Amino acid sequence: MDRNKQHRQVALMRQSLFDQGLLDEQFVQLEELQDDANPNFVEEVVTLFYRDSARLILNIDQALDKSPLDFAKLDGYMHQFKGSASSIGAKKVKSECTLFREYCKAGNGEGCKRTFQQLKKEYALLRKKLETYFQLARQVGPVETACRRI
Amino acid sequence: MEKMGFGNVTSTSKTMKIIDTEKKISVLIVEDNLLIQKIHKVMMTKFGTEVQLATNGKEAVDLFLSGASFDLVLTDLEMPIMDGIEATKQLRSMGVTSMIVGVTSRNQDSEIQAFMNAGLNACYVKPLNAEKVTVVLNELKNI
Repeated sequence: MDRNKQHRQVALMRQSLFDQGLLDEQFVQLEELQDDANPNFVEEVVTLFYRDSARLILNIDQALDKSPLDFAKLDGYMHQFKGSASSIGAKKVKSECTLFREYCKAGNGEGCKRTFQQLKKEYALLRKKLETYFQLARQVGPVETACRRI
Repeated sequence: MEKMGFGNVTSTSKTMKIIDTEKKISVLIVEDNLLIQKIHKVMMTKFGTEVQLATNGKEAVDLFLSGASFDLVLTDLEMPIMDGIEATKQLRSMGVTSMIVGVTSRNQDSEIQAFMNAGLNACYVKPLNAEKVTVVLNELKNI
């Protein structure tokens, strides 16, 4: 019974990520790619995303410190970042990327800076929630291999 | 614009269908973003294809110049050294008749049209998903 309760907890946690608008359909696509050949695929991809995007975040932070702002460069960085965020289904992060690029096109530096702060918050929040989710999911294990009482 | 080239995506099934062929379909994924490369590779492998990777357009062109051939090329647009438009133009001018499908995060009609004009068979907005892959592989099977 405890195991069933844990599985349900994992499922509810997962659903909340979608209900809160943090993840979209692309995350489901990644889950569908996970199988015996790639048992930790989703977690690996998310880990790779956070590792790769750390460099982009740093680049954008540094570019936002410069004066005058190079909007073309900023847009280029954000284009890459958005591509990666989209590929893991990071819905809110992706929205902030889109907004940032609109500010770049408008040459609005303050808008860019403000949006980037919000983006970093969403990025960190998603990371924390996914880490918790993956940790719990690993502890509980897949539903198919749940232990049966003998 | 979500796609251009083949007919409308009619499949709504999320099941990954392995296309039954005697020989595995060979796919070259041309993509500089390692994360997207990984996702697309696993996706295409799951569909039963044999996948090779190139990280920019020049690597893709060099592969064909060295005599490699692929049934399908999935290429990003924006890449360092040589982008997808230039790579597609060069492949076509070399006489490459493989199916070349663009996969780009650009979604403006003009940008996608420019990519198509380079010689693509179709173009999709990223990210790839099972539905899009099914359409592409079925189209390839029907050629």
